[in-house]
Amino acid sequence: MIEVRELRRAFGGVVALDGVSLNVPDGERRAVIGPNGAGKTTLINVLAGEISPTGGAVRLAGRDITRLHSWQRARLGLAHVYQRTELFSPLSARDNVALAVAARRGPYRLFRAPPRSEYAQSDAMLERVGLAGREDVVVRALSHGERRQLELAVALAQSPRVLLLDEPTAGMSPVETARITELVAGLDRALTIVIVEHDMDVVFRLADRVTVLHEGRVIADGTAADVRGDVRVHDVYLGKAVTVA
Amino acid sequence: MRPLVRWALVAAAAVALVTFPYWSAPWESTRFATTLLRDALVLAIFALSLDLLVGRAGMPSLGHAAFFGAGAYAAGIAGQRLATDQLPVTLGAAALVAALLALVIGVLVVRSEGIFFLMLTLALAQIVFAIAFQWTAVTGGSNGLSGVGRPMLATVDFSSPDLMYVLVAITFVAAALLVWGLARSPYGRALIGVRENERRMRALGYDTARLRLSAFVLAGTIAGIAGALSAYSTRFVSAQDAGLGNSVRAFVTVLVGGAGTLGGPIAGSALVSLIERVVPSLLPVELRISEAILGLVFIAFVLFARQGMVGLGRQTWLRVRSR
Repeated sequence: MIEVRELRRAFGGVVALDGVSLNVPDGERRAVIGPNGAGKTTLINVLAGEISPTGGAVRLAGRDITRLHSWQRARLGLAHVYQRTELFSPLSARDNVALAVAARRGPYRLFRAPPRSEYAQSDAMLERVGLAGREDVVVRALSHGERRQLELAVALAQSPRVLLLDEPTAGMSPVETARITELVAGLDRALTIVIVEHDMDVVFRLADRVTVLHEGRVIADGTAADVRGDVRVHDVYLGKAVTVA
Repeated sequence: MRPLVRWALVAAAAVALVTFPYWSAPWESTRFATTLLRDALVLAIFALSLDLLVGRAGMPSLGHAAFFGAGAYAAGIAGQRLATDQLPVTLGAAALVAALLALVIGVLVVRSEGIFFLMLTLALAQIVFAIAFQWTAVTGGSNGLSGVGRPMLATVDFSSPDLMYVLVAITFVAAALLVWGLARSPYGRALIGVRENERRMRALGYDTARLRLSAFVLAGTIAGIAGALSAYSTRFVSAQDAGLGNSVRAFVTVLVGGAGTLGGPIAGSALVSLIERVVPSLLPVELRISEAILGLVFIAFVLFARQGMVGLGRQTWLRVRSR
């Protein structure tokens, strides 16, 4: 479904992605893990079209999208949940989701209030992520956890084919983390998911396969069980996480 | 309030506004108030168009007078060269020229943001001003373009002060309804999305550069129509109409009234018109510097009431209600 080949990206002298290749088939849930600075967020941003790669190619459902803008990729079915919350702060939760719902029909609809059906869809999506009853609250007044839930609702409202999740549980309480994890776990199996995550419980709960990045390279790629047993992965990542914890 | 009641009130207010010269005649024999209100309404249309950019889409343009001036010149020049005062011709020329100019300038500026957008619009508008000022053969240069005809619609002649006022007032009501309709539509909401978080809008699949360009052209077109009304009203176009002073005046009007609201640009034009035309006559001769007074009022709003007159009104209303 989404495939990258020999992806390179340098920021000045710093090489964030150093020839990354991976192939996520239709419907797979792929976690990308690695220590800080491994290039995970850069990879997500290159996939989403927010950063252009210095070299290599990105394909979506067989189509080369390397040169497409983020809005063009969104129309082809890519949705992106950012590491830092990116919402429309003076608008209500409902209007935030409605902007995503309305994107398909485009903004050039003048002189008429948005159709009720768009709001109904938005409210249904808010209920699904656990924000029922909070539809009219503006983003500024939502808690951090609620904003993350709203982020997810906005991305899902795009009806994506591929969902890019950049640390969806960052900064969340254990209860909120569990809720988001179960929510993502319960999503349609046809949806392809690429998730960057630090919380290993979340990774092993959600991912079919895991790709490990280290210094801009893929150092391991396999099923969750394989990666858990990989010695190099322990050295650069899991082992360190255990000692820190 | 029930929607029907609200619409009835809005309709009554619009009728009262449009017919002002007729019911004010008994106590207003000099027509000073009619002229003042007419010019305030032209400023209000201009400010409403600018607020689409400044308040809604978050595009702080300091060059909006370029389109006002382009519309004013286009209406005047088209009328004189084509020897017609027919409204569809001259107003159509104004709208078309302003729209084309906004398209050209818009393509150059919409990809920049914030202070860069502000400086680019300022610089490009100064080029338009320089052309208006130098191209004497077409624009009259520093002498301005005089003898602009009052328009006619078929056989209706708007040359009387009262009918000229009526034309301006009807256009104002139409412009206010247009902005109101846009603000509540998916289009208006998308502009707010662009203002608040353009990156996320792009991630949702919106072509934000095109969205911003559409707002720029729409705002420029309405400003051009305001410019044409100004040319008809005063029968004169000055290069200053396209100048920085006029851009700043519209910007101040929007901010003093309250950006991003329907009432703000309207309230702002009432205040600015009063400061320009009424307040000086109440002051001793040495203090009749309306620009300085306007500047002080603007500073006061920036320091103490960022949300403008509309924001002050809302705060007062909330305070009264909570008592």
